[in-house]
Amino acid sequence: MSPTSLTSSETAVTVSGLTRAYGPRVVIDRLDLRIGRGEFVALLGESGCGKTTLLRALAGLDPIQGGHIDAPGRPAVVFQEHRLLPWDTLWQNVSLGLPGADPRKRAAAALVEVGLGDRLDDWPRNLSGGQAQRVALARALVQEPRLLLLDEPFAALDALTRIRMHVLVKELVARHQPGVLLVTHDVDEAIALADRILVMRNGVIASEHRADTRGEPAASRVQLLRELGVATNLQVA
Amino acid sequence: MDGRVSNVDYVIQPEYRAAATPAPARQASAIAKPGLKPNLIVLSWIAPVVLIVVWEALAQAGWLSPQVLPAPSKVLRTAWKLTLSGSLLNDLGVSLLRAAAGFAIGGSIGFILGTLVGFSRIAEALIDRSVQMIRAIPFLALVPLVIVWFGVGEGQKIFLVSLGVAFPIYINTTLGIRQIDPKLIELGRVQGLSTLQLIQRIILPGALPSILTGVRYSLATAWLALVVAETVGAQSGLGFLAMDAREFLRTDVIVLTIVIYALIGVAADSIARLLERRLLAWHPNYSKGPRS
Repeated sequence: MSPTSLTSSETAVTVSGLTRAYGPRVVIDRLDLRIGRGEFVALLGESGCGKTTLLRALAGLDPIQGGHIDAPGRPAVVFQEHRLLPWDTLWQNVSLGLPGADPRKRAAAALVEVGLGDRLDDWPRNLSGGQAQRVALARALVQEPRLLLLDEPFAALDALTRIRMHVLVKELVARHQPGVLLVTHDVDEAIALADRILVMRNGVIASEHRADTRGEPAASRVQLLRELGVATNLQVA
Repeated sequence: MDGRVSNVDYVIQPEYRAAATPAPARQASAIAKPGLKPNLIVLSWIAPVVLIVVWEALAQAGWLSPQVLPAPSKVLRTAWKLTLSGSLLNDLGVSLLRAAAGFAIGGSIGFILGTLVGFSRIAEALIDRSVQMIRAIPFLALVPLVIVWFGVGEGQKIFLVSLGVAFPIYINTTLGIRQIDPKLIELGRVQGLSTLQLIQRIILPGALPSILTGVRYSLATAWLALVVAETVGAQSGLGFLAMDAREFLRTDVIVLTIVIYALIGVAADSIARLLERRLLAWHPNYSKGPRS
């Protein structure tokens, strides 16, 4: 993470020397990271490498043992499960914790953005998995966060729904311009969405791949998989 | 009565709706043959009606002594007479008032203690063991002691009802709060809810199904406690009416009070079910018809 000339108003989050430990076991070891507004960063890594721990620390859900997280405003989070309140209608879910006037109107606008504008007063139990995750996305974006944290939000969806969600997320991020940290174990998802892909290993960021320099998707796929410890004998056509 | 039939609807529909294939759901409810519904209800009423008719016939024929079991028609006439004289409504009112007072007091205590214990491990350590020890006593076994404490006045009756009501509410409130998905509480924190908002938006609504189960259960217990309390030295109320009638071998009045007790029990249960359907409209188990 090289020092950057961007001003603070263009920064979504700056992390320096972040350390997170469970007892003697250090999960995140003096990690530095900066995400700009409108930048889409994907965080890849094997299970247990600390990527979800990093996301939870950024979300303010877990205490940290060292370093600084400088994130203006409250980050929004979309989890792997939709976490919709079953006793609230969709618009109530979207406006949960939303300060300011006319929450219904703003929730409605957010639901329109995710293509569920006609379901304001419906219950979450009537939604499919993909629709529920779209509501969760609306709930996150209606807060106009500077930092959007996505914790494997598409992992539980079927392949076709996942692709549709990718398109939608990309669109919405382009429109709202939050800085995004997407935690995923899906290399193809990272390549499809991210401006920058980070590979995390042993509590630090082991390597970084930029969209503008990483070349052909197929080539970077092989490269990323190798870094994640998956040898592939598929050759690039 | 129609609970069983509409049950079929609610089991099938949400599942299929979730899978976004409404067609099979319609097919399934077509298989359920709507024409069968009224027939089943009629069938279910045959036995009770036959029983009452046979009872009436036996009484009219003189096979049943009025001292043992008066005819249904006689009970009805007694009900009418007592209503006209005003004494039935008066006693009914007194009983309902006692039940309501006991329910309010016991319910509040149970809810407050249950909420504390549900939220705090320290409160649990302080409160729960004592409550569970008292709960182990069949509360009706306390009647003699309660009479020594309060005499046979209103205090004794309201105390017994409160005692019977407090435990089901306590247990179900604690349980309801404990059962809330910690992931939803985490979400509340991510969305920036204050503690008060967290309780309002997530914890209480999440605990509500369980709390309402407690309410339903405690209504039955309240009623039972009242029957017992009123049969011991009451000066008014339905129990008094029954005990007074016993002195004069007025079996018709005794049967009448039993019937009224039953009717009020059914009414209380219906109110609780209505509350569930209103407040838990979001819940797949309550959204359509009661679960029996």
